[in-house]
Amino acid sequence: MSLTTRIATFRRAIERWLLARFGDTWVEEWARGLYHGMISHPAYEKIELEAEDLEDAFMVACFPDAFGIPSPVSYYTAELLPYLETEFGAWERRMWDRQSLIERKGRQYHF
Amino acid sequence: MDEPRFVFFGGKGGVGKTTVSSAFGLRCARSGQRTLLVSTDPAHSTGDLFDQPFTDAPQPVDGYDNLEAMEIDPATEVDAHLQQLKRELGTQMSAAVVNEVDLQLEMAHRTPGAHEAALFDRFIDVMRDADPYDRVVFDTSPTGGTLRLLSLPDLLEGWIDRLIAKREQSIELYERAAIGNRAPRRQLDGDPVIARLQDRRKRFVFARDTLQDAARFHLVMNPDSLSLRETERALETLKEYELPIGPIVINKITPSPEAHEDGRGGRYLRQRCASERARMQEARDSLPVEVGAEIESRVQDVTGDVLEEVAAELDLPVGGQPA
Repeated sequence: MSLTTRIATFRRAIERWLLARFGDTWVEEWARGLYHGMISHPAYEKIELEAEDLEDAFMVACFPDAFGIPSPVSYYTAELLPYLETEFGAWERRMWDRQSLIERKGRQYHF
Repeated sequence: MDEPRFVFFGGKGGVGKTTVSSAFGLRCARSGQRTLLVSTDPAHSTGDLFDQPFTDAPQPVDGYDNLEAMEIDPATEVDAHLQQLKRELGTQMSAAVVNEVDLQLEMAHRTPGAHEAALFDRFIDVMRDADPYDRVVFDTSPTGGTLRLLSLPDLLEGWIDRLIAKREQSIELYERAAIGNRAPRRQLDGDPVIARLQDRRKRFVFARDTLQDAARFHLVMNPDSLSLRETERALETLKEYELPIGPIVINKITPSPEAHEDGRGGRYLRQRCASERARMQEARDSLPVEVGAEIESRVQDVTGDVLEEVAAELDLPVGGQPA
């Protein structure tokens, strides 16, 4: 039995024991919540915020007329609109909501 | 045949582009080439010239062999594009968002560049489906619009490249954010937005290559200083965009009076001719391209027989073997 399989077996045993002992109790709920709040969410939240910023830049480049800037390509980018349903709504919401760049970028850091 | 397949005629409004391009189309057809004449004039002057209504699908010109014509109306094109997108919108989107997006869509079709973009789109279609023809002659809208139109591929290509890059970056980040069993909010694989952008890009690349390798541009001018200046500017722009420029056509040259005519009309004509000759000499000396053809002014509107006369005067190379 190699080391890795021994570790895996041991891990499975612990998972089984934890599930049997704490499954569906408040302990599991809290443990999941803590893991989500402290580890996984901060990790992808920042990346998603950055992705949203890039998406906003994309949307502005596609539809500058929304801000009164005429664009030679908006005739062509209008073809993308049927496929940008979620993006369009979210973009508009973020544009309404945005205060300043510092505020937005600052949110991506936990001091 | 080493003459380019696509020939464009441009110039200020009213210099006689329609006449010259029709006459050139006729010459090509006469030399045995299957020729398509494409007009972008919303006033349907090609139809008036041949005394026959044309639509935006090529149809044979009555009384002339090998010659077909079509008229593209930019306003109709813009409208069709808008309707098409609205239909797509209806099938793709939930009713709640449609209104918001509809507004954006309407706006995009009312921007100043919409007509040019629509025209350009149709030009690309025509150039792509040009197989049945040996020669396609474009009668373009007045200078400013046309030049902008033809400068579009480069500009648009660059823009679309940037759009694609941005979209890819943001999707990449979304995918990276999808840790564990989370599904990414967007996926690069099969993204319809990127697919459409790339499709557009291909069209623009095709347009740029075709315009540079298989096209030639003739400017039409009248023998007056306004027209000469405009032509100089247009030539500079064409050069800037590295588009192949053919000889200039000078149209509407006033015929000189007989030597014995010395009435008021005769004197007027003589003075007029002198000033025109000076402008033409200036054009020959100062313009960076040669003057290829000189056409006299006609008394009547150009139709039928007069068109034949103009075609006979329009001494531009048509290539191919005369039939």
